Amino acid sequence: MFAPIKRLFKNTVFRLSMIAAGLFVLSSLTVLGYIYYATVRAETVEVDKFLEQELDEIEKIYLEKGVEYTTQILLNRMRPGHLYIFSHKGQYISNIESKPIFKGGEPVEGKPFAFTYKVVASSEPLVTEEIRARGRTRFIGDEGGFIFTAREVEIIMDTSERVRRALFVSMLMAMTLGLLSGVYVSSRFARRIGAFNKLATDIRSGKLDKRASRTETGDELDVLAEHLNDMLDHIDKMMMAMRYAGDSIAHDLRSPLTRLRTRLENAGSDVKDEAAREALFQASDDAGELLKTFDAVLRIARLETGERREMLVGLDPTPILEDLAELYEPSCEDAGLEFSLKIEGKHKIYGDRGLLSQAVSNLVENAIKYTPKGSAITVRLRKLRNGRSEISVTDTGPGIPPEQRNRVKERFVRLEESRTAPGSGLGLSLVDAVADLHRAQFELTAGSSGDDRDNPGLRAAINFPRFKRR
Amino acid sequence: MRILVVEDDEVAAEYVRKGLMEAGHVVDRASDGELGLEMAKVADYDALILDRMLPKRDGLSLLGALREDGDSTPVLILSALGEVDQKVEGLRAGGDDYLAKPYSFTELLARVEAIGRRSDPTAAVTKLKAGDMEMDLLARTVKRGDQKIFLQPREFRLLECLMRHAGRVVTRTMLLEKVWDYHFDPQTNVIDVHVSRLRAKIDKNFETPMLHTVRGAGYRLQA
Repeated sequence: MFAPIKRLFKNTVFRLSMIAAGLFVLSSLTVLGYIYYATVRAETVEVDKFLEQELDEIEKIYLEKGVEYTTQILLNRMRPGHLYIFSHKGQYISNIESKPIFKGGEPVEGKPFAFTYKVVASSEPLVTEEIRARGRTRFIGDEGGFIFTAREVEIIMDTSERVRRALFVSMLMAMTLGLLSGVYVSSRFARRIGAFNKLATDIRSGKLDKRASRTETGDELDVLAEHLNDMLDHIDKMMMAMRYAGDSIAHDLRSPLTRLRTRLENAGSDVKDEAAREALFQASDDAGELLKTFDAVLRIARLETGERREMLVGLDPTPILEDLAELYEPSCEDAGLEFSLKIEGKHKIYGDRGLLSQAVSNLVENAIKYTPKGSAITVRLRKLRNGRSEISVTDTGPGIPPEQRNRVKERFVRLEESRTAPGSGLGLSLVDAVADLHRAQFELTAGSSGDDRDNPGLRAAINFPRFKRR
Repeated sequence: MRILVVEDDEVAAEYVRKGLMEAGHVVDRASDGELGLEMAKVADYDALILDRMLPKRDGLSLLGALREDGDSTPVLILSALGEVDQKVEGLRAGGDDYLAKPYSFTELLARVEAIGRRSDPTAAVTKLKAGDMEMDLLARTVKRGDQKIFLQPREFRLLECLMRHAGRVVTRTMLLEKVWDYHFDPQTNVIDVHVSRLRAKIDKNFETPMLHTVRGAGYRLQA
């Protein structure tokens, strides 16, 4: 469950939007902080200022009118929420039940401070209430007397609490929204970037007709898509031109080559000299090989047009594989290879017997050619978990290095190691073209003996789309 | 055999004509479809070699007209269109065999001799005979001399094909088509392997070998 989160953090846009969200939270924190200060703190300052003014006033009265008068004044001023303590020569007047103002039993003169006191909210049953207040003490006279005045600040504190809570909640909301919008924006962006990456993979795997999709918003990604598509069109055009040139060369050379071959063959049968005869036949065979190559090129080219796709019919590949097994088993036996055919389950696919036979035959022949004596070749038909049917040819030979596996499907690509063996480098291209015609996937992977480093084997698999009645 | 070649390509036609004549056949040539149809109707040929793409009247249309007339002269269709569906089209129009260009002359010769009027490899016979070899198509048994030979079903069909064309060359491609119904050329010697297994069964214990390899062409069964 951590993998998606990890992936999310790898996403550039997500990181950027997280930074943006962080900055947003920070700036709103500043704004809210100022609002908090300007409202709640200002009220408190206001109270403190008032307390000081009152202390000044009472002190003045005390100095001018004496203790009795001051006591009278204070008794008049006392009421719930307006709290006073007047201490003179060990005598108190006070309207606070508890006396939280004494720190260590002694009053302390100085700054205003916050405290709580209890009042009786109801006497039967006895319920007391804690009330918040701010007060300030001032010493007067020389005999340890003091005045303490305080104001209840419940309302202010309530407001302050509410504002603080609001600040906290809005902070949470800002962070959540930031995170959500980060996820949304980045996943949206990731999807579009993902589409580009998929396009690149598709193109690399030979689906040259794929193009980047556009959102029609004309943003920079659309511009990128447009440029990319232009580039791909251009590459496609060049490849088509190249392929067309190749195909038409193959086509145009067929007739003269046929004649050349016929001429050589005729000459060969006319000549009496054994050596010359052999040379002419050899030359004729070479011309035949050339023709075969050209034929294969043209066949692939025609397959790639996809026009034969309409001719595919629903069929069971089992007898096709059985026939091929019957054809190749003796060859394998002669080459010292162990051949086996495994048919698992019932299958039906849209296919063409001839083309499928040729494709699988190419795979089997490859396995025979490149697999040393004593290896095993397995042709297998099985049902994949997703319901697709898969034909695979697996050998226990030297295999193909992973980085070469896609390349060998291209035309005329032959691996260095196989240059000496006969062949045109078109076998796998044809398999690829046949698979493509069947809308099947053709894959090369390591064989089942993947743990043997010298002979990892090769597994060539064609998996066909599920059969749907047309 | 008397063979009519309907082919517009001068050079190709000449080579085919020369080759067939050297193989002991009598050859006429027509350079377009109309002329070809005319000649085929007038003279009695043992086989027709018909190019698909011809001026004036294309090969398939010529073939159609011929068959409509009740003429059953065996026809080998030649074509640059080597796809299997084209082949099916050609055979459906009444062709007896189909050969895609480029072809080797030996292939052409073997095929035209195989369909030629004088031999009828598809004739409804129940027994085939070549030298001291006998094949019973109903009982599915093979005898050479008075020795029974046991064959696998595919080996039986392989031998049947060779026996139906006994004395003539049968190419590897023809075997692959007629015995296995495959229309592609394998890169390996897969047919040779099957033939050598058959040879081991029919020739091994006998004085004179019957199954011969013909250099650069294919195989021939000969007493």
